[in-house]
Formats: sequence, C-alpha cells, structure tokens
Amino acid sequence: MVRFVNLTLAGITQGAVFAAVALALVLIWRATRVVNFAQGGMLMFTTFLAWTVVHDGGSYWLALGVALASGLVIGAVAERVLVRPVEGGPPLNAVIVTLGLYVLLQAAAGMIWGDTPHSYPPAFTIKGLTAGGTRLLLSPFDLFVIGAVALVMAALTVLFVRTGLGLKLRAAAFAPEIARLQGVRVGRMLTLGWALAALVGSLAGVLIAPSVFVGPSQFDAMLVFGFTAAVIGGLDSPAGAVVGGLLLGCALSYVSGYISSDLVTFGALAALIAVLMVRPNGLFAARTGRRV
Amino acid sequence: MGAFRLTLVRHLAGAAAGLVALYVLTTSVGPYRDLQIAQAAYLTCAVAGLTVLTGLGGQISLGHGAFMAVGAYTAALVSAHWGWPLAAMLAAAAVVTALAGVLVGAVAARLEGPYLAGATLAFAVGLPGLANYSHLTGLLGGQNGLTVTPPVPPAALGETFPLERWQAWIACAGAVITLFLLANLTGGRFGRTLRAGRDDEIAAALCGLRVARLRIAATVVSAACAGLAGGLLAVVASLAAPGAFPLTLSLQLIAAVIIGGLGTLPGAVWGALILVFVPSWASDAASSSGLSHDVASNLPLAIYGLVLIAVTLAFPRGLQGGLRDIGGAARRRLPPSLRRFAPGGGAPGVPATHRGGADEPTTDQASAPDPDPEGAGGRDDDGGGAGGRGERLRR
Amino acid sequence: MLEVAGLTAGYGAVRALDGVDLTVEEGSLTAVLGANGAGKTTLLRTVSGLLRPRAGRIALDGRDLARLPVEEIVRLGVAHVPQSGGVITELTVEENLRLGGLYRRDRGALARRVAQMYELFPPLAPRRSRAAATLSGGERQMLALARALTGAPRLLLVDEPSLGLAPRVVARLMAVLRRLCDEDGRTVLLVEQNARSALSVADRALVLDLGTVVADEPAAVLAADSRLRHAYLGF
Repeated sequence: MVRFVNLTLAGITQGAVFAAVALALVLIWRATRVVNFAQGGMLMFTTFLAWTVVHDGGSYWLALGVALASGLVIGAVAERVLVRPVEGGPPLNAVIVTLGLYVLLQAAAGMIWGDTPHSYPPAFTIKGLTAGGTRLLLSPFDLFVIGAVALVMAALTVLFVRTGLGLKLRAAAFAPEIARLQGVRVGRMLTLGWALAALVGSLAGVLIAPSVFVGPSQFDAMLVFGFTAAVIGGLDSPAGAVVGGLLLGCALSYVSGYISSDLVTFGALAALIAVLMVRPNGLFAARTGRRV
Repeated sequence: MGAFRLTLVRHLAGAAAGLVALYVLTTSVGPYRDLQIAQAAYLTCAVAGLTVLTGLGGQISLGHGAFMAVGAYTAALVSAHWGWPLAAMLAAAAVVTALAGVLVGAVAARLEGPYLAGATLAFAVGLPGLANYSHLTGLLGGQNGLTVTPPVPPAALGETFPLERWQAWIACAGAVITLFLLANLTGGRFGRTLRAGRDDEIAAALCGLRVARLRIAATVVSAACAGLAGGLLAVVASLAAPGAFPLTLSLQLIAAVIIGGLGTLPGAVWGALILVFVPSWASDAASSSGLSHDVASNLPLAIYGLVLIAVTLAFPRGLQGGLRDIGGAARRRLPPSLRRFAPGGGAPGVPATHRGGADEPTTDQASAPDPDPEGAGGRDDDGGGAGGRGERLRR
Repeated sequence: MLEVAGLTAGYGAVRALDGVDLTVEEGSLTAVLGANGAGKTTLLRTVSGLLRPRAGRIALDGRDLARLPVEEIVRLGVAHVPQSGGVITELTVEENLRLGGLYRRDRGALARRVAQMYELFPPLAPRRSRAAATLSGGERQMLALARALTGAPRLLLVDEPSLGLAPRVVARLMAVLRRLCDEDGRTVLLVEQNARSALSVADRALVLDLGTVVADEPAAVLAADSRLRHAYLGF
C-alpha cells in the first residue's frame, strides 16, 4: 500500500511535467493546427541556457528566469520565421519544418555544449519527506515541481478566460478570419501563442532536468510523453492535457515501479496506441468538427 | 507483347547496369569507401521503402529506425542461434519486420496527419528501449547489443579479398534488388491504387479500393525494406545494438526522403548518399579547418535540419522535383536531337535504376508515339516516371 | 461616405467583380441585390479588406481602403457581418459580444455597449454565458449583428442576414437595420438575395449581375420597375 501511494506521488510529480509539455503542444495545435515536433528540442535548448547560468555561478532562480525568457523568444521566432510560411499548407510540410527545427536545435546544442549530458541542480532537496515514520517518494523539490506547474496553469487559465487578450488569443485560434473582422491582429496572436507555449515547455525542461540530466538528446522521450499526454486528453483541450499528463505520469510510475523502469517509454507507446485505437480524438474530445 | 514485359526488361536492364557500375566502383576504391558504399546501400533500402510509403501512400512514418532495429535484431538472432546462412538471415530480417509492419500498419491505417506522425515517433523512441528490459537482456544483449559474425568472402574471390568490399557487394545487391522490386511494384497496379488512396481517400473507396487494406500493404512493403536495411546494417556493422537506432536515425531517413524528393526511387538513392557522405565530408572539412569534435560531429545534423527547413520552404515538392523542374525547363530549350543527352534524363554517377528518362525511349516511341516531348522527366509526383511510362503504354 | 469606383476583384481566374461603381450616403441603408454568383459577397469582402481588389478605388470619407489590412479597416469604423453570421461557436455569447468591441480599448464603454445589446436583442440576454454553438440560426444572426455593433461602427456591412431564417425573424432583423440608420445615424450596406424584404427597408438599391452593376436607383423606383424585378430579382 505504501508502495502504491509512493508510486502515485512520484507519478503525480512527473505527470505535472508531462502535463506542462502536453499543454505546450495543445496551445500550439489549437492556435495553428501544427503539432510542434520541435518542442522537445526547444525545451532542451532553453534548459541548456539555464544550465549555463547555473554553471557560471548564477542562482537557480536566475537560471529559471533565463529559461522562461528564452522560451518566449524561441517560440515567437519559430512561429514568425519557420511556421508562418507553412500554416494552412499540407500537414506534412508543417511536420517536416518542425522536425527540421528539432534536428537543428539538437545539432546546435551539441556544437555549443557537447554531447555528454550534464547534471542539473534541483531548487530544493530531493530527500523524501516522512509521514508517520515512512519515507515518502515526495520531496520538497517534487512539491515545488507540482506547485510551479499548477501556478503556471492557473496563470494561463486566468489569462485565457478572464482577460481581453486571452479572448483574442482564443478567437484567433478558433476562427482566424472572423477574429480579423473583429479587429484582432491574428498574426500577433499566433506568435504570442507560440511564445506562451514555448514558455510552458521551457518550465517543464528546467523542472525535469535534475532527473534526466541536460544533453542534446536527453529530452527526446519528453516529447513522446508530452504528445501521448496531449493525445490522451485530446489535442484540442488544455484541461485534457493536464489530466492526460497526470494519468500518464501515474501509469508510467506504476509500470516503472511494478514491472521495470526500462519499460517506461514502451509503456508510453502502448498507452498512446491504446488511446488512439479507442478514441482517436482523445478521451476528452467532445466534438469532431466545428460549425460556424 | 505486354507493356509489363517491356517495363520488366527495362528494369532488369537497369538493375544489371547498376550492378556493373557498382562492381566497377567498389573494386576501384579502398576499404573505407567500400564501407561507406555499403552504408549508403543499406540506407537506400530503408529510404526507398519509406519514400514509397510517404510519397506514394501519403503516410508519414517517423519510426522507420525502429523497423530497422527489428530487422537487425532478427538477423543477429537467427545467425547466432541457428547459424542461418546469409541470404536466409536477410530474408528472415525482411519477413519478420514485414510481420511487425502488419501490426504497425493496422494501427497506422486508422490515423491521420500529426496523430500518425506522433504515434510513429513514439514507436521510434519506445521500441529500441525494449532491448534494455531486464527480462530480455539475456536474449537481446541489453545496451551492448548482439554481435554478428562477419560474412566470409567466398574462397573463389581469393584470400586477399577485403571484407569491406564483400560487405559492400552484399549491401549493394540488397539495394539493387529492393529498388528493382519497388520499381515494378509501384509502376503497376499497386502503385496506382496507392496514389489514388493518397490523393482522395473517399473517391478511391467509392471506386472499390479498400483504402485501409491498401495502407497496411504499403506499410508492410515499406517495413520489409527497412527490415532488410536493418539486417544489412547488422551484417555491415557486425552488431545490432540499441544505440544504432536512435530517434535521429528515423529523422534522418525522413530527411533523406524529403531531400531526395518525395516518392521518387532515384531520389531515395540520392537521399541515402547524402546521409552517408555529408557526415564524412563534414568531418573532413572540420579537421582541415580545425573545428572541435563537438562541432564536427554535429555539423551533419545541423545541415539536415537546415536543409529540411529550406527544402520545405523553398521546394514544397522536394529537391528532386525542383531539379526536375529545372532540368525540364532546360531541355525544353534544346533541339529534340540533343534532349536525350541533357541532364535530368538519367542520374549520372548513380546506379541507373529505372528513370524512364530520355535516354531509353527508342522502344517506347516505336510502339506508342509520345505526344509529350518531356517524357517522364517533366512529370511530377509519380514515382520516378517508370510507372508513368508503363501506364501510358498500356492504354 | 463610402465611394467605390471601377472595382475589379476575383479569385484565381474567376473575375467576380468587373468595374463596380457604388456610392453610399452617410446614414442611409443601401441594398445590393442580385442572384447567386452575382458578386455581392465578393463586393463586401473587398470593401472590408478580406479580399484584395485587382483594380479600382475604395474610399471611406476620402481615405483609400484598398491597401489596408482587415484589422485596420475595422479600426476605421467598418464592421462586416459575414454570411450566416460567423459567430465563433466555441466562445460564449458574452465573449462573442465583447470580442466585437475589444479593439476600442475602453473597458467601461465596452461593458455599457454589451449591456445595450442585450436590451436591443432580448433573446440573447438569458443565454449570455452559454456557448454560441447552442444558439438557433436566428439567434446567431442576432448575435453576429450585435457583435458588430459593440464596436460602434459607422459603416455596417451585412451579408445575407435572411439566409435560412423564418420570414418573421427576417422582418425583425430588417426593422433593426432600419432603426440603426434612423435612430443611431449608422450607415448600412446590406447584401441580400431576398430582394423583397431588402427593398422594404432600403433607401437605395443596386442590382449586380455577373459582377457588373445593372441598376442603381432609389429603392422605391427599383421596386416599381417590374421589368428589372422580373429579369434579376425573381418577383
């Protein structure tokens, strides 16, 4: 029983990170109908920038700020320069361009920082808390991870639901031409959407870095986990992305704890296939098309 | 007198010419180049299979590296446990991977666009990790993988015959056979129905095509090619290990397909050559200009990334299509008597596969006067032209 | 207020408008009539900036619109209600309304105008926090019109508001358009296939046929011209 609780706690922690990556993918998919296969590369790159700050003696918080800021910039530039020309074109073109960006970022990171993974410090101790004399698989750092993701989700929810900017962002994503007719500068909204998504992704990168290490291909699996979580939730649903991330985090934690930690990525593959076969549009997909 | 036989004869002639060219090439270079030729040859198999699936079938796969892993491990296992001879080993690699292709294809046939891309990406990342699973390490050798006994060159070739050249011959034979079979397959009914299913799924279904079955068949064919490529890789590298099949391998294969031109078999050869020779050129350039190891080893990746982006933004149909447009425009300005010698008709320096280009039209034109002086060279989007020519003859 | 001269526009090889001239007086309701494919919708799309003209001039109070993007034309006080409304179904009724006036950046005024819209279109009020997808066709058309009005536009472009609606609903909508001109001093350019109801409220009417203007008369004159009515308007 303790083991189950512990695995669940560990699952929630990593699920929070998956949820953040999934949310980054969903925000971009909703806005531009592009699955950003470069997301893994983008968060890898911003985490490397944060690592550089820490490595040069900067504080954890400065590094986190650098990662988030660079995420915003990379996301905006990627949309403006690379994705804008292929938006609305054949889906394959968008896939190829984002894959090209992913490969390019990976190569650039390898050139700058080398191919050997580096360790990354956690913000707080990773020693598990104790409850009733039992050591839990939940450390102060894990609590920070969960809290940071929750905070970002809450902030995004407020932004999207409560503010005029959020309304314009949603309108631009749902119906670009109608949004333009209401005076929304759709191009700017799409760029901002990518920037926000990349920011969420870069947060996920810094949070997971202590456990996966920082290297050019260390975050490949994160893209798979994030995509799987997003598909579980339905690529169109931000709330679904969060639930999908937590479900996947727990499922993989059980796989890792009860069977073998080597089966985690394979488990994600199995989960993805199972969901796609049963509900190809995600567990939370309500609509299959939209009427105007 | 079937057009089918004509096409077949032409493809056979192309294959024979390719083998002769490769014989000349492999015997005139050193072991290092032989090894590179072998690599290019097995990559050609995988890229050709992928270009049929993605270019003609319209299904993207980011997971062909995983198919190659299946082929490589199959070859290693049958060789280690049962000591199967080389040909049987490679056939087993292709067949077992084709069976894996049935499973993947059944799933993939139901998926579209980014869902398909994501699922195959998960396949590429998830499958090679199985080798590390503790219950399978006894069988699959874990992180270190399985070693494969290198093939022994036949005694008839002499005792000093280099192993690398023999490996290159094996891989090249595999590539030529793959290209020959794919050229015939895609030039015929299969290729036409595949294109129909890609262009308009509903219309194809209304014409009585079973689109889902067709897609599975395409995946199976494509997987068999990748499996053979994996088997050849195991033979050439004498090893099957998870480290040989990272996500970047799958992405490189798709890069080669895009760079060579979606759906064209000659493009697959180009793409595979680029995958092998760009890294070697990059490391030469890096060592001569004093770049660090980190920069040199990542330069090819950076180039692929840039090229993928540039090609998609500049030539939406792929580099081969772009070159063909340029070649077609140039040939249009030449007098007809010179057209057959103009570039674009055949691919010089590459095994002449089956381009249906301007250098072989005599029999065609005798039986069916061709109203289109461009020939297959000016056609877009149709599997290298051999199929197009064959179809036109049959009418 | 709006002057269009020699306007030519189209899609690909198709020329949907061919040298259209049109003048809309401030505070008037001008109807553009014609059969399917006459170029009516293209005319509105070109004026609002969704489609670039190939030739000709579009001027709002003397200012050239032909090179401006949609978003900027909206800011000059031109609101376009597209065919079948273009309500964003994923957003709530209230969000759709707010969206129409967001670009003015005046929060207090926006809240006031949204409240006014619920008075002007009472059926929308109880549905304010429901998704627009749950609305009926007539309610959607109302919402689209209300959304355009929250931006307090000077010129309102309305594309086939009667499409698929019951005659009573159409009559109500037409009456609302008339009131916008008479009471608020707004200018309306109305595109309609339903010529009879459009003529009942319009000051002036144009008939388009295959991209050219075949008649441009006061609405009453046009309604009385039985030859023209038979040839182009079907009644």
